[in-house]
Amino acid sequence: MRLEKQVAIVTGGARGIGRKIAEVLASEGAKVFIVDLADPGGSLPQGMEFIEGDVRSPAAAEKIVTGVVDRCGRLDILVNNAGIVRDTLTLSMERSAWDEVIETNLGGAFNFTKPAARFMIARKRGRIINVSSIASRVGGKGQGNYAASKAGIEAFTRTVALELAPKGVTVNAVAPGLIETEMSERVRDMAGNALRRAIPARRYGSPEDVAAVVLFLALPGASYITAQTIVVDGGLSVAGPRPGA
Amino acid sequence: MTDQEIFGKVKECLIDALGVEDDEVGPEATLVGDLGAESIDFLDIIFRLEKVFDMKIPRGDLFPEDILLGEGNIEDGKLTEKGLAQVREKLSSLDISKLEKNPRVSQISNLFTVKMIADYMKSKVG
Ligand SMILES: NC(=O)c1ccc[n+]([C@@H]2O[C@H](COP(=O)([O-])OP(=O)(O)OC[C@H]3O[C@@H](n4cnc5c(N)ncnc54)[C@H](O)[C@@H]3O)[C@@H](O)[C@H]2O)c1
Repeated sequence: MRLEKQVAIVTGGARGIGRKIAEVLASEGAKVFIVDLADPGGSLPQGMEFIEGDVRSPAAAEKIVTGVVDRCGRLDILVNNAGIVRDTLTLSMERSAWDEVIETNLGGAFNFTKPAARFMIARKRGRIINVSSIASRVGGKGQGNYAASKAGIEAFTRTVALELAPKGVTVNAVAPGLIETEMSERVRDMAGNALRRAIPARRYGSPEDVAAVVLFLALPGASYITAQTIVVDGGLSVAGPRPGA
Repeated sequence: MTDQEIFGKVKECLIDALGVEDDEVGPEATLVGDLGAESIDFLDIIFRLEKVFDMKIPRGDLFPEDILLGEGNIEDGKLTEKGLAQVREKLSSLDISKLEKNPRVSQISNLFTVKMIADYMKSKVG
């Protein structure tokens, strides 16, 4: 067990990618607190605990982080994973849909990073891992709000990484492609097989594919990697048209 | 708390925050020039002082970096008369004659010495 005694917070950890990340960190011995809007229900695996919270609230974030540190005496890993989509063409997008996505995906990461970093620099160790998306770099019609939030989180990742590097805290991002979760269900249903075939790896990613990279970034061996975004997309974001190839 | 105790605690905070050796932290050592501090370290030092002395230190009080942001305080990389006046007011206990002669922004950090922190804490602890 490579994360024994370590303490982690995973936002949006009730289901999907966040849930898998939490399970993988816990399976390596970490105590993992999942923060989400609603209790996932059912019994959680050993080492995992649920905390109700909305990442859009800075006060809630501060309270949750402080609570975890008070209880466990440490916080080693923060995974800013909570995210939503509200897809629609820019010309028909309500300002509220813009705000909701930016506040959750980008604002949520800021809200948790600030109090977490404070505790991490005091102990001169810590890993912050932000979940981005290839939407940060490849266009997707109807995703103006989402793409902006994900480009933002990558830029935020680089900045905080530089600020915290002297204190032994690394900050990286993981940018998944199309992963089989509830979030991508509509897109996958609509596009059918054509979409899957456009992926060089010829399959959608799984939450495990993403969690494996988050775990790697959390392990002791990754201490010299910071300010990076690692793309986990089966090659999708670099694939051009493949006529007859 | 005696002066020596205060200095000892300040020293401990600086050693922890900056990863420097005990003998580097003399009273006259400058945080940036001699001890290699950068912006994040100033925050880290404040957090550690708050913990060790068990008190709140208002932001901008100990290291008045906000002077750099004030409207009209800086021109061409140098502090204006207005900026210098604010430095005098905020850091009244310090000798800023060197800064007056060469008011480059980069020189401000030279005012931040180990002694300055110890003096500030002394004024707070009473
Ligand atoms: N699924 C994909 O194809 C894909 C691709 C790229 C990036 N991502 C990113 O991965 C992350 C996880 O996505 P997923 O596919 O697991 O989605 P999901 O919808 O299955 O899960 C997201 C979780 O975040 C929670 N959440 C939403 N808003 C919240 C808030 N305000 N406060 C607390 N929790 C909140 C939800 O309740 C949910 O449990 C997101 O950041 C998403 O943008 C997903």
